[in-house]
Amino acid sequence: MNAGDSGDLLILKQLGADHLDLPFWAGTRREELLLHRCGLCGRHYWPASRCVTHGAANMAWTPSSGRGTVHTYTILHHAYTAEMATQVPYCVAVVELEEGPFFHSNIVGCPMDQIHVGLPVQVRFVVQKAGRLTLPVFTPVSGHDDDRRAGA
Amino acid sequence: MRGRYAIAALGLTEQGIGLGRSDRDLRGDAVERALNAVGLERDAIDGYIHCWGEREDLRYLGLSPNLNWSLSCGGATPTAAILGAIGAIETGQAEMVACVYGIAPTSGYIPGLRDLKSIGSYSYGYPSLYGMVGAASAHALHARRHMHLFGTTSKQMGAVAVQQRAYAAVRPKTLGYGKPITIEDHQASPLIVDPFRRLDCCRDTDGGVAVLICGADRARALTPQPIYILGAGMGQNVVNWHNGTIYQHHDNIAPAKARAFAQAGITIADIDVAELYDPFTISVIMQLEAYGFAAEGQGGPFVAEGGTGPDGVIPTNTGGGQLSGFYATGFTPIIEAIVQLRGEAGAGQMKKADIALCSGHGLNAGVQNTWNHATLILGNQP
Repeated sequence: MNAGDSGDLLILKQLGADHLDLPFWAGTRREELLLHRCGLCGRHYWPASRCVTHGAANMAWTPSSGRGTVHTYTILHHAYTAEMATQVPYCVAVVELEEGPFFHSNIVGCPMDQIHVGLPVQVRFVVQKAGRLTLPVFTPVSGHDDDRRAGA
Repeated sequence: MRGRYAIAALGLTEQGIGLGRSDRDLRGDAVERALNAVGLERDAIDGYIHCWGEREDLRYLGLSPNLNWSLSCGGATPTAAILGAIGAIETGQAEMVACVYGIAPTSGYIPGLRDLKSIGSYSYGYPSLYGMVGAASAHALHARRHMHLFGTTSKQMGAVAVQQRAYAAVRPKTLGYGKPITIEDHQASPLIVDPFRRLDCCRDTDGGVAVLICGADRARALTPQPIYILGAGMGQNVVNWHNGTIYQHHDNIAPAKARAFAQAGITIADIDVAELYDPFTISVIMQLEAYGFAAEGQGGPFVAEGGTGPDGVIPTNTGGGQLSGFYATGFTPIIEAIVQLRGEAGAGQMKKADIALCSGHGLNAGVQNTWNHATLILGNQP
């Protein structure tokens, strides 16, 4: 399965990406967030994995709800690269998806000071990296963006 | 295990920023210092374990060992190398194994990352698509989770930085020598990667280290001050990735601790000094809890109340650690343990230092942000 054009593949190769994840990146181009699911126990994984209990035999990519909560996060203030200089400060969060897996992403669409552990978020898709790769990012679920008692 | 093997010699080069020497030159210098310390010639080394790895060392260093291994598990490598050395001796492959480290990141080179320059350049697979670069961001995720779960504060993390700088301030040849800081200095230092301020982060330094590992009898014949391996253990945090608790675990310390303390036949009450891997302040807080010096979630108040000071519950990172001493990855704790156990710390010598706990941590495994952990217990008696 091909993630898209060769530009996608080059970016992913530079990251050291696993070819087993290419269906995921093809999914993001369709604005689908796919998780790797074990058909025997129903456990979800990201990135591509062998089920810790059942191995590879029943693993398949299935759509996620795209909803989750912020499990932990950091806000980067220091620009380690020239590219970052125009972007700081920005948030890298670990989203705990409803299906269970953690997913690293950016939290966008809200002020940095509204981000907190437990914040309910939902996926949206943005085309980045010179139009080559479609990235899932997360934004607060409307109406819940200041509910500090939620989740955790 | 306890007392059957020993560190016969430590070879330590200068450690600092911008030394302008190559990594291999530093390794060669470290090996020569170790040999000179116990009056051995090069041919005494019949095993060479390079912490990290490349292929030219033996020729350049003039060594002709039977075995030449490269090991890489990040900052856990030095303990892994000592375990490898013991394995080599135990199986009759060698009698005197040099475990050698030397990098010069502030002079332009880290092994395996030729196009990159420092720890700030590390990136972590898919998360780097989102601008997650640098070890600070990886550790910040643990710090934020700890703050959320237990109420740990920036000032409590600052207390780690202040205490360790106080230790370094009286120790020549450290970055912090003669430069104490206050909690106000910490709070005024700029946010780098929230919640870390600049003074929550260690800096890269150049330097070389070599330790010579051999049987205890041989070590006693070579030096009046052998440092004995009392116990060791390792753990990998991927189990906590799978059970969803990775971010409240700095590492998977429990199995490493259990094995090391069982081998040594002691409890943490027997530890005189703790030398913990500390690239960031939160690392000390979370390890103090995992090893049991502080209750779960109470590492922050423990440090803020002086628990890690020279008269505290457990003097910790007594040479300034990586934060204020120097960053020789997993050798920073081991070096300071050796210095304390030998009573060579001068103004920074702890009143009682017969058994030391050292930890190592490293080789981020990518998306899942899981690291190896190493526990090493050293003593000045077998």
